Amino acid sequence: MHEFSIATGIVDVVREEATDHGADRVESITVAVGEASHVNPEQLETCLTVATEDTIAADATLDIETVEPYGSCSCGWAGRPETSDRALAYAPDLRCPECEARIDLEEGDGCRVMELAVPSEDADETETTP
Amino acid sequence: MIHRTSTTARIDASITRIDAWLDRLVGPLRAHRIGIDQEHGDEGHDHGEGTADILERFARQADALHEELVHDRGLRVVGFVGATGAGKTRLIERLIERTDDRVGVIVGDVAGEDDAERFRALGADVASVATGKECHLDPGLLEDALTEIDLDAIDRLYVENVGNMVCPADFPLGAQARVVVVSATEGDDVIRKHPLLFQAGDLAVINKRDVADAVNADLDRMERDLAAIAPGMDAIRTDAEHEAGIDALASAIDERVEAHSHQDADHDHTPGHDHGHD
Ligand SMILES: [Zn+2]
Repeated sequence: MHEFSIATGIVDVVREEATDHGADRVESITVAVGEASHVNPEQLETCLTVATEDTIAADATLDIETVEPYGSCSCGWAGRPETSDRALAYAPDLRCPECEARIDLEEGDGCRVMELAVPSEDADETETTP
Repeated sequence: MIHRTSTTARIDASITRIDAWLDRLVGPLRAHRIGIDQEHGDEGHDHGEGTADILERFARQADALHEELVHDRGLRVVGFVGATGAGKTRLIERLIERTDDRVGVIVGDVAGEDDAERFRALGADVASVATGKECHLDPGLLEDALTEIDLDAIDRLYVENVGNMVCPADFPLGAQARVVVVSATEGDDVIRKHPLLFQAGDLAVINKRDVADAVNADLDRMERDLAAIAPGMDAIRTDAEHEAGIDALASAIDERVEAHSHQDADHDHTPGHDHGHD
């Protein structure tokens, strides 16, 4: 279970990005979790709820997407590898379906912060009115 | 892509009312959406928009360690992962006995100093890392442990990870070769059950080959699983207890370390999805 260290890393990224955009509050965070990583989306969500406490993202909505693996081959093939049928647990087939060479994954083995929503400046102005 | 959404909104009722009022005023586009810029310019597929890979941060830390240990200091760094009881410690002992190199060992251990003592008895410089509740070594823990070893006095560094077959796959440690150790006693479906760990490794060891028949483990089947799951990855069958297969393992490791050095000469280190180095 290493989702907590990942959640802490996500909070760091969120804090940096929000500060860069002059925001002091984050409304939502979209995270993409690769199916070929060992990050469990449910556990990550739980850990993020804890890791965002007392931060500018404390009230943020969490949106966790899962990403299928994507790879390409030197022969020109690119796409989603099938899953390996010899594996009992989830695993992409790392062989190119065209030429059988070994392929590397470009997507689907990581964990990324995709998007943040922060209050827009217009909304901030309106918010001070009521 | 499957979407799962959930809300941890802890907004009290009055704010909710104000929000509803605001929504009527300014519409649903109140929020300013920030797409995170992608660090690598992958093009031509549909999940290319914006990203900062969190796991990649650990990979970058590992690359920095790799740079220091392998390139600045010229060490040979080999990592070992695998379940408790697979025989990682015994294998590393056998490797230490066979090399003329001065060896340092980092031992990730949830419980105590037992393994460390066994390595010290063979003359190795040893630092053990009590990982506590962490289920894997990460580059930061490794870096801390390295301060306990005289790096000028060793040629080779072995890193024995915590006995865990899931988490270490996501945490590279900067080694030139990552060895995944399983044993016949774990059952001949152990590779199929942990495919992602093998995909993140460089070399597989099937240990305790001597008891395969007794425990009804089909080693050929294990190798077929490996070939399907991690194409091109070599498997070495060993019996660390009776010192069989150790020379083959030692040369497979060195081959891998050498291959890595040549590969390094050809291109700069690019952090990221290069699972080629541990
Ligand atoms: Zn191909």
